[in-house]
Amino acid sequence: MTSLRTIIAAFLCAIALGLASAGLYGLPAFGHYPGPYGDIINRQGPAERHATNMVTLVNFDYRGFDTLGEEFILFAAVIGAVVLLREHRGEEASARPDQADEAPIPERSEAVAFGCRLALGITALFGIYVVLHAQLTPGGGFQGGAIVGSATALLYLGLGYPAWRGMMRSRVLDTAEAAGALAFIGAGLAAIGAGAPFLTNLLPLGTTGSIVSAGVIPLLNIAVGIAVAAGFGTLFLEYLEETREPESGGEQ
Amino acid sequence: MTPLQIGLFLLAALSGGAVVLTREPRRQAVAMGFNGLVLALLFMVLQAPDVAYSEIAINSVILPVLFLVALAAARINNRRREIDRP
Amino acid sequence: MSHAAFLLPAWLFAIGLYGVITSRHFVHLIGCLTVIQSSTYVLLLAVGYRTDAAAPIFANLPIGTPAVDPVVQALVLTDIVVGATVTALLLALALQVHKRTGTLDPHELRPLRR
Repeated sequence: MTSLRTIIAAFLCAIALGLASAGLYGLPAFGHYPGPYGDIINRQGPAERHATNMVTLVNFDYRGFDTLGEEFILFAAVIGAVVLLREHRGEEASARPDQADEAPIPERSEAVAFGCRLALGITALFGIYVVLHAQLTPGGGFQGGAIVGSATALLYLGLGYPAWRGMMRSRVLDTAEAAGALAFIGAGLAAIGAGAPFLTNLLPLGTTGSIVSAGVIPLLNIAVGIAVAAGFGTLFLEYLEETREPESGGEQ
Repeated sequence: MTPLQIGLFLLAALSGGAVVLTREPRRQAVAMGFNGLVLALLFMVLQAPDVAYSEIAINSVILPVLFLVALAAARINNRRREIDRP
Repeated sequence: MSHAAFLLPAWLFAIGLYGVITSRHFVHLIGCLTVIQSSTYVLLLAVGYRTDAAAPIFANLPIGTPAVDPVVQALVLTDIVVGATVTALLLALALQVHKRTGTLDPHELRPLRR
Protein backbone atom coordinates (compact mmCIF):
# COMPACT_ATOMS: atom_id res chain seq x y z
CA MET A 1 0.00 0.00 0.00
CA THR A 2 2.60 2.50 1.12
CA SER A 3 5.11 1.37 -1.46
CA LEU A 4 2.53 1.66 -4.25
CA ARG A 5 1.78 5.17 -3.08
CA THR A 6 5.49 6.01 -3.12
CA ILE A 7 5.91 4.61 -6.62
CA ILE A 8 2.96 6.61 -7.95
CA ALA A 9 4.28 9.75 -6.23
CA ALA A 10 7.76 9.24 -7.69
CA PHE A 11 6.27 8.70 -11.15
CA LEU A 12 4.13 11.84 -10.95
CA CYS A 13 7.03 13.92 -9.68
CA ALA A 14 9.27 12.63 -12.48
CA ILE A 15 6.60 13.89 -14.92
CA ALA A 16 6.53 17.22 -13.05
CA LEU A 17 10.33 17.39 -13.31
CA GLY A 18 10.19 16.72 -17.05
CA LEU A 19 7.46 19.29 -17.67
CA ALA A 20 9.15 21.94 -15.51
CA SER A 21 12.49 21.37 -17.26
CA ALA A 22 10.88 21.56 -20.68
CA GLY A 23 9.08 24.76 -19.72
CA LEU A 24 12.18 26.38 -18.24
CA TYR A 25 14.11 25.51 -21.39
CA GLY A 26 12.19 28.30 -23.13
CA LEU A 27 13.78 30.95 -20.93
CA PRO A 28 16.76 33.02 -22.05
CA ALA A 29 19.98 31.07 -21.43
CA PHE A 30 21.55 31.21 -17.96
CA GLY A 31 23.84 34.22 -17.67
CA HIS A 32 22.08 36.13 -20.46
CA TYR A 33 19.62 38.35 -18.61
CA PRO A 34 17.79 40.18 -21.41
CA GLY A 35 16.76 43.33 -19.55
CA PRO A 36 15.83 46.11 -19.91
CA TYR A 37 14.00 46.84 -16.62
CA GLY A 38 16.89 45.98 -14.30
CA ASP A 39 19.43 47.69 -16.57
CA ILE A 40 17.46 50.93 -16.56
CA ILE A 41 17.31 50.88 -12.76
CA ASN A 42 21.04 50.14 -12.52
CA ARG A 43 21.79 53.09 -14.82
CA GLN A 44 19.28 55.64 -13.52
CA GLY A 45 18.81 54.64 -9.88
CA PRO A 46 21.96 56.05 -8.29
CA ALA A 47 21.54 59.44 -9.97
CA GLU A 48 17.78 59.68 -9.39
CA ARG A 49 17.64 58.63 -5.73
CA HIS A 50 21.23 59.03 -4.41
CA ALA A 51 21.30 55.41 -3.22
CA THR A 52 23.95 52.80 -4.05
CA ASN A 53 22.12 49.54 -3.22
CA MET A 54 19.73 49.02 -6.13
CA VAL A 55 17.95 46.11 -4.44
CA THR A 56 16.84 48.27 -1.51
CA LEU A 57 15.97 51.03 -3.95
CA VAL A 58 13.65 48.71 -5.87
CA ASN A 59 12.12 47.37 -2.66
CA PHE A 60 11.43 50.62 -0.88
CA ASP A 61 11.03 53.14 -3.69
CA TYR A 62 10.28 51.93 -7.21
CA ARG A 63 8.23 48.97 -5.96
CA GLY A 64 7.45 50.32 -2.47
CA PHE A 65 3.75 49.53 -2.75
CA ASP A 66 4.60 45.87 -3.41
CA THR A 67 6.72 45.83 -0.25
CA LEU A 68 3.84 47.34 1.72
CA GLY A 69 1.80 44.30 0.70
CA GLU A 70 4.62 41.94 1.74
CA GLU A 71 4.91 43.70 5.08
CA PHE A 72 1.23 43.12 5.74
CA ILE A 73 1.41 39.46 4.74
CA LEU A 74 4.11 39.18 7.41
CA PHE A 75 1.95 41.07 9.89
CA ALA A 76 -1.11 38.92 9.18
CA ALA A 77 0.88 35.66 9.32
CA VAL A 78 2.39 36.54 12.70
CA ILE A 79 -1.03 37.50 14.09
CA GLY A 80 -2.53 34.29 12.72
CA ALA A 81 0.17 32.14 14.32
CA VAL A 82 -0.18 33.96 17.66
CA VAL A 83 -3.98 33.59 17.67
CA LEU A 84 -3.77 29.88 16.81
CA LEU A 85 -1.18 29.19 19.50
CA ARG A 86 -2.93 31.17 22.20
CA GLU A 87 -6.33 29.64 21.57
CA HIS A 88 -5.82 26.67 23.86
CA ARG A 89 -3.22 28.07 26.16
CA GLY A 90 -4.61 31.44 27.19
CA GLU A 91 -2.33 34.44 27.59
CA GLU A 92 -0.14 33.20 30.43
CA ALA A 93 2.12 30.22 31.02
CA SER A 94 4.45 29.48 33.91
CA ALA A 95 8.22 29.78 33.65
CA ARG A 96 8.78 26.09 34.44
CA PRO A 97 9.73 23.92 31.48
CA ASP A 98 7.29 21.11 30.80
CA GLN A 99 8.70 17.67 30.08
CA ALA A 100 8.10 15.41 27.11
CA ASP A 101 9.17 12.26 28.98
CA GLU A 102 10.44 11.19 32.38
CA ALA A 103 14.11 11.86 31.64
CA PRO A 104 15.43 14.93 33.49
CA ILE A 105 16.06 18.01 31.34
CA PRO A 106 19.84 18.27 30.80
CA GLU A 107 21.60 21.38 32.04
CA ARG A 108 22.70 23.93 29.45
CA SER A 109 26.43 23.45 28.95
CA GLU A 110 28.77 26.27 29.93
CA ALA A 111 30.30 26.36 26.46
CA VAL A 112 26.91 26.89 24.78
CA ALA A 113 25.96 29.62 27.25
CA PHE A 114 29.29 31.38 26.82
CA GLY A 115 29.30 31.10 23.03
CA CYS A 116 25.73 32.41 22.76
CA ARG A 117 26.42 35.35 25.08
CA LEU A 118 29.50 36.20 23.02
CA ALA A 119 27.62 35.99 19.72
CA LEU A 120 24.50 37.72 21.00
CA GLY A 121 25.81 41.28 21.11
CA ILE A 122 27.74 40.98 17.87
CA THR A 123 24.73 39.53 16.04
CA ALA A 124 22.32 42.17 17.32
CA LEU A 125 24.76 44.97 16.49
CA PHE A 126 25.36 43.56 13.02
CA GLY A 127 21.61 43.35 12.43
CA ILE A 128 21.17 47.01 13.39
CA TYR A 129 24.10 47.95 11.14
CA VAL A 130 22.52 46.09 8.25
CA VAL A 131 19.21 47.95 8.76
CA LEU A 132 20.87 51.35 8.99
CA HIS A 133 23.04 50.91 5.89
CA ALA A 134 20.17 49.65 3.76
CA GLN A 135 20.56 52.10 0.89
CA LEU A 136 24.37 51.89 0.79
CA THR A 137 25.64 48.32 1.17
CA PRO A 138 23.97 44.89 0.98
CA GLY A 139 21.22 44.63 3.53
CA GLY A 140 18.00 46.34 4.53
CA GLY A 141 15.07 46.21 6.87
CA PHE A 142 14.02 42.65 6.06
CA GLN A 143 17.47 41.10 6.41
CA GLY A 144 18.51 43.21 9.40
CA GLY A 145 15.21 42.49 11.14
CA ALA A 146 15.70 38.76 10.56
CA ILE A 147 19.26 38.96 11.96
CA VAL A 148 18.07 40.80 15.08
CA GLY A 149 15.27 38.22 15.34
CA SER A 150 17.81 35.40 15.28
CA ALA A 151 19.76 37.24 18.00
CA THR A 152 16.70 36.86 20.25
CA ALA A 153 17.01 33.08 19.80
CA LEU A 154 20.61 33.39 21.05
CA LEU A 155 19.27 35.32 24.01
CA TYR A 156 17.19 32.29 24.98
CA LEU A 157 20.03 29.83 24.38
CA GLY A 158 22.63 31.88 26.23
CA LEU A 159 20.75 33.34 29.18
CA GLY A 160 18.01 30.79 29.75
CA TYR A 161 14.25 31.10 29.82
CA PRO A 162 13.71 33.36 32.87
CA ALA A 163 16.06 36.06 31.56
CA TRP A 164 14.52 35.76 28.11
CA ARG A 165 10.98 36.13 29.52
CA GLY A 166 12.14 39.19 31.45
CA MET A 167 13.34 40.89 28.27
CA MET A 168 10.75 39.75 25.75
CA ARG A 169 7.61 41.53 26.84
CA SER A 170 4.78 40.45 24.61
CA ARG A 171 3.14 43.88 24.94
CA VAL A 172 6.31 45.67 23.80
CA LEU A 173 6.78 43.28 20.86
CA ASP A 174 3.17 43.62 19.74
CA THR A 175 3.38 47.39 19.92
CA ALA A 176 6.71 47.46 18.05
CA GLU A 177 5.35 45.28 15.28
CA ALA A 178 2.20 47.34 14.85
CA ALA A 179 4.22 50.57 15.01
CA GLY A 180 6.56 49.34 12.27
CA ALA A 181 3.65 48.49 10.00
CA LEU A 182 1.90 51.77 10.79
CA ALA A 183 5.04 53.82 10.10
CA PHE A 184 5.19 52.35 6.58
CA ILE A 185 1.60 53.40 5.89
CA GLY A 186 2.24 56.74 7.59
CA ALA A 187 5.13 57.45 5.20
CA GLY A 188 2.86 56.63 2.29
CA LEU A 189 0.02 58.83 3.54
CA ALA A 190 2.42 61.70 4.30
CA ALA A 191 3.24 61.78 0.59
CA ILE A 192 -0.48 61.99 -0.21
CA GLY A 193 -0.80 64.80 2.31
CA ALA A 194 1.91 66.69 0.45
CA GLY A 195 -0.04 66.33 -2.77
CA ALA A 196 1.97 63.51 -4.38
CA PRO A 197 0.99 59.87 -5.10
CA PHE A 198 1.13 57.31 -2.25
CA LEU A 199 4.68 56.49 -1.04
CA THR A 200 6.41 59.11 -3.21
CA ASN A 201 9.95 59.71 -1.99
CA LEU A 202 9.64 63.41 -1.10
CA LEU A 203 12.31 63.87 1.58
CA PRO A 204 15.63 65.57 0.67
CA LEU A 205 17.90 63.05 -1.07
CA GLY A 206 21.18 64.04 0.63
CA THR A 207 24.64 63.11 -0.62
CA THR A 208 25.18 59.69 -2.14
CA GLY A 209 27.02 57.44 0.31
CA SER A 210 25.81 59.20 3.45
CA ILE A 211 23.79 57.24 6.02
CA VAL A 212 20.93 59.75 5.76
CA SER A 213 20.80 59.82 1.97
CA ALA A 214 18.06 58.58 -0.39
CA GLY A 215 15.13 60.41 1.25
CA VAL A 216 12.52 58.26 2.92
CA ILE A 217 14.25 54.91 2.24
CA PRO A 218 16.23 54.71 5.54
CA LEU A 219 13.08 55.53 7.54
CA LEU A 220 11.08 52.82 5.78
CA ASN A 221 13.89 50.35 6.40
CA ILE A 222 13.97 51.14 10.10
CA ALA A 223 10.18 50.67 10.25
CA VAL A 224 10.38 47.32 8.44
CA GLY A 225 13.39 46.25 10.53
CA ILE A 226 11.48 46.89 13.76
CA ALA A 227 8.39 45.09 12.46
CA VAL A 228 10.34 42.04 11.25
CA ALA A 229 12.47 41.74 14.40
CA ALA A 230 9.41 42.12 16.64
CA GLY A 231 7.51 39.62 14.47
CA PHE A 232 10.15 36.91 14.87
CA GLY A 233 10.54 37.76 18.56
CA THR A 234 6.78 37.27 18.98
CA LEU A 235 6.89 33.95 17.13
CA PHE A 236 9.76 32.62 19.28
CA LEU A 237 7.98 33.80 22.42
CA GLU A 238 4.68 32.15 21.53
CA TYR A 239 6.27 28.87 20.43
CA LEU A 240 8.44 28.69 23.56
CA GLU A 241 5.39 29.35 25.73
CA GLU A 242 3.97 26.16 24.21
CA THR A 243 6.73 24.17 25.90
CA ARG A 244 6.03 25.57 29.39
CA GLU A 245 3.81 24.09 32.06
CA PRO A 246 0.36 25.67 32.06
CA GLU A 247 -0.06 28.26 34.86
CA SER A 248 -3.05 26.70 36.55
CA GLY A 249 -2.49 23.26 35.09
CA GLY A 250 -3.75 20.49 37.36
CA GLU A 251 -2.04 17.69 35.46
CA GLN A 252 0.97 17.22 37.68
CA MET B 1 29.22 28.76 -15.70
CA THR B 2 32.29 28.75 -13.49
CA PRO B 3 33.39 25.59 -11.62
CA LEU B 4 32.38 27.26 -8.34
CA GLN B 5 28.85 27.81 -9.64
CA ILE B 6 28.58 24.26 -10.97
CA GLY B 7 29.75 22.87 -7.64
CA LEU B 8 27.28 24.95 -5.64
CA PHE B 9 24.40 24.09 -7.98
CA LEU B 10 25.12 20.38 -7.49
CA LEU B 11 25.53 20.80 -3.74
CA ALA B 12 22.22 22.69 -3.55
CA ALA B 13 20.50 19.87 -5.47
CA LEU B 14 21.92 17.32 -3.01
CA SER B 15 21.12 19.28 0.15
CA GLY B 16 17.60 20.08 -1.08
CA GLY B 17 17.04 16.38 -1.69
CA ALA B 18 18.46 15.61 1.74
CA VAL B 19 15.89 17.90 3.40
CA VAL B 20 13.06 15.94 1.75
CA LEU B 21 14.51 12.46 2.22
CA THR B 22 15.39 12.97 5.90
CA ARG B 23 12.15 11.57 7.24
CA GLU B 24 12.81 12.11 10.92
CA PRO B 25 11.64 15.72 11.57
CA ARG B 26 14.31 16.56 14.15
CA ARG B 27 17.07 15.51 11.78
CA GLN B 28 15.30 17.36 9.00
CA ALA B 29 15.73 20.62 10.95
CA VAL B 30 19.50 20.09 10.82
CA ALA B 31 19.40 19.27 7.11
CA MET B 32 17.35 22.43 6.60
CA GLY B 33 19.99 24.53 8.29
CA PHE B 34 22.68 23.07 6.04
CA ASN B 35 20.49 23.60 2.97
CA GLY B 36 20.08 27.26 3.96
CA LEU B 37 23.85 27.64 4.22
CA VAL B 38 24.41 26.11 0.77
CA LEU B 39 21.69 28.25 -0.80
CA ALA B 40 23.16 31.38 0.81
CA LEU B 41 26.54 30.58 -0.74
CA LEU B 42 24.85 29.93 -4.09
CA PHE B 43 23.04 33.27 -3.94
CA MET B 44 26.34 34.95 -3.07
CA VAL B 45 27.90 33.44 -6.19
CA LEU B 46 24.88 34.58 -8.24
CA GLN B 47 25.77 38.16 -7.19
CA ALA B 48 22.87 38.51 -4.78
CA PRO B 49 24.40 39.39 -1.38
CA ASP B 50 21.13 40.91 -0.11
CA VAL B 51 19.29 37.66 -0.72
CA ALA B 52 22.13 35.65 0.85
CA TYR B 53 21.74 37.65 4.07
CA SER B 54 18.07 36.91 4.43
CA GLU B 55 18.51 33.27 3.37
CA ILE B 56 21.17 32.59 5.97
CA ALA B 57 19.34 34.36 8.81
CA ILE B 58 16.00 32.71 8.01
CA ASN B 59 16.71 29.22 6.69
CA SER B 60 19.80 28.46 8.76
CA VAL B 61 18.80 30.01 12.08
CA ILE B 62 15.18 30.99 12.53
CA LEU B 63 13.34 28.19 10.72
CA PRO B 64 15.28 25.26 12.29
CA VAL B 65 14.76 26.77 15.74
CA LEU B 66 11.02 27.21 15.10
CA PHE B 67 10.74 23.63 13.80
CA LEU B 68 12.56 22.21 16.82
CA VAL B 69 10.45 24.19 19.28
CA ALA B 70 7.25 23.14 17.47
CA LEU B 71 8.34 19.49 17.66
CA ALA B 72 9.09 19.85 21.36
CA ALA B 73 5.65 21.39 21.88
CA ALA B 74 4.04 18.47 20.03
CA ARG B 75 5.88 15.90 22.18
CA ILE B 76 4.91 17.69 25.39
CA ASN B 77 1.34 17.80 24.14
CA ASN B 78 1.47 14.02 23.61
CA ARG B 79 2.46 13.52 27.23
CA ARG B 80 -0.27 15.83 28.48
CA ARG B 81 -2.82 13.79 26.55
CA GLU B 82 -1.50 10.59 28.08
CA ILE B 83 -1.75 12.05 31.59
CA ASP B 84 -5.27 13.33 30.91
CA ARG B 85 -6.43 9.97 29.63
CA PRO B 86 -7.89 7.98 32.53
CA MET C 1 24.01 23.33 -22.07
CA SER C 2 23.53 26.93 -21.02
CA HIS C 3 20.09 25.98 -19.72
CA ALA C 4 21.50 23.33 -17.34
CA ALA C 5 21.25 25.78 -14.42
CA PHE C 6 17.46 25.73 -14.71
CA LEU C 7 17.47 22.02 -13.89
CA LEU C 8 18.14 22.91 -10.24
CA PRO C 9 14.84 24.76 -9.65
CA ALA C 10 12.98 22.04 -11.58
CA TRP C 11 14.67 19.36 -9.44
CA LEU C 12 14.00 21.18 -6.15
CA PHE C 13 10.35 21.62 -7.16
CA ALA C 14 9.93 17.95 -8.10
CA ILE C 15 11.70 16.51 -5.05
CA GLY C 16 9.82 18.89 -2.74
CA LEU C 17 6.53 17.85 -4.32
CA TYR C 18 7.49 14.19 -3.88
CA GLY C 19 8.18 14.89 -0.21
CA VAL C 20 4.84 16.63 0.27
CA ILE C 21 2.93 13.73 -1.31
CA THR C 22 4.70 10.94 0.56
CA SER C 23 5.20 12.70 3.91
CA ARG C 24 3.82 10.94 7.00
CA HIS C 25 4.43 13.83 9.40
CA PHE C 26 3.02 17.37 9.13
CA VAL C 27 6.20 19.03 10.37
CA HIS C 28 8.24 17.10 7.80
CA LEU C 29 5.69 18.11 5.16
CA ILE C 30 6.16 21.80 6.00
CA GLY C 31 9.93 21.28 5.69
CA CYS C 32 9.36 19.90 2.18
CA LEU C 33 7.29 22.99 1.36
CA THR C 34 10.29 25.17 2.19
CA VAL C 35 12.27 23.21 -0.41
CA ILE C 36 9.61 23.97 -3.05
CA GLN C 37 9.78 27.61 -1.99
CA SER C 38 13.55 27.65 -2.39
CA SER C 39 13.14 26.41 -5.98
CA THR C 40 11.38 29.69 -6.84
CA TYR C 41 14.23 31.67 -5.29
CA VAL C 42 16.86 29.85 -7.32
CA LEU C 43 14.80 30.21 -10.50
CA LEU C 44 14.28 33.96 -10.11
CA LEU C 45 17.93 34.62 -9.32
CA ALA C 46 19.07 32.40 -12.21
CA VAL C 47 16.84 34.35 -14.62
CA GLY C 48 18.29 37.68 -13.47
CA TYR C 49 21.91 36.50 -13.57
CA ARG C 50 24.34 37.83 -16.14
CA THR C 51 27.74 36.24 -16.71
CA ASP C 52 30.67 38.26 -15.34
CA ALA C 53 28.42 41.06 -14.10
CA ALA C 54 28.69 42.65 -10.66
CA ALA C 55 26.15 42.73 -7.84
CA PRO C 56 23.76 45.69 -8.27
CA ILE C 57 25.43 47.69 -5.50
CA PHE C 58 27.35 50.74 -6.63
CA ALA C 59 28.99 51.70 -3.33
CA ASN C 60 32.45 50.99 -4.76
CA LEU C 61 31.60 50.52 -8.42
CA PRO C 62 31.35 53.21 -11.09
CA ILE C 63 27.80 53.63 -12.38
CA GLY C 64 27.39 51.88 -15.71
CA THR C 65 29.31 48.73 -14.70
CA PRO C 66 27.36 45.72 -15.98
CA ALA C 67 25.33 44.37 -13.09
CA VAL C 68 22.77 41.63 -12.54
CA ASP C 69 19.03 42.36 -12.31
CA PRO C 70 18.12 43.98 -8.95
CA VAL C 71 14.35 43.52 -9.40
CA VAL C 72 14.30 39.73 -9.02
CA GLN C 73 16.61 40.03 -6.01
CA ALA C 74 14.20 42.48 -4.38
CA LEU C 75 11.32 40.06 -4.97
CA VAL C 76 13.22 37.09 -3.54
CA LEU C 77 14.63 38.73 -0.44
CA THR C 78 11.27 39.97 0.85
CA ASP C 79 9.69 36.63 0.04
CA ILE C 80 12.25 34.68 2.09
CA VAL C 81 11.46 36.71 5.21
CA VAL C 82 7.69 36.79 4.65
CA GLY C 83 7.69 33.08 3.71
CA ALA C 84 9.29 32.23 7.05
CA THR C 85 6.42 33.82 8.97
CA VAL C 86 3.91 31.97 6.78
CA THR C 87 5.82 28.76 7.59
CA ALA C 88 5.45 29.62 11.27
CA LEU C 89 1.70 30.00 10.68
CA LEU C 90 1.62 26.53 9.07
CA LEU C 91 3.49 25.08 12.06
CA ALA C 92 0.91 26.65 14.36
CA LEU C 93 -1.84 24.99 12.30
CA ALA C 94 -0.02 21.65 12.58
CA LEU C 95 0.17 22.08 16.37
CA GLN C 96 -3.56 22.84 16.44
CA VAL C 97 -4.26 19.64 14.50
CA HIS C 98 -2.10 17.75 16.97
CA LYS C 99 -3.93 19.23 19.94
CA ARG C 100 -7.32 18.35 18.52
CA THR C 101 -6.64 14.90 17.09
CA GLY C 102 -3.46 13.72 18.82
CA THR C 103 -1.70 12.87 15.58
CA LEU C 104 0.61 14.57 13.10
CA ASP C 105 0.20 11.91 10.40
CA PRO C 106 -1.82 13.16 7.40
CA HIS C 107 -2.96 9.60 6.59
CA GLU C 108 -4.75 9.25 9.92
CA LEU C 109 -6.73 12.40 9.28
CA ARG C 110 -8.61 11.17 6.24
CA PRO C 111 -12.34 11.72 6.70
CA LEU C 112 -13.12 8.04 5.99
CA ARG C 113 -11.28 6.96 9.12
CA ARG C 114 -13.48 9.04 11.38
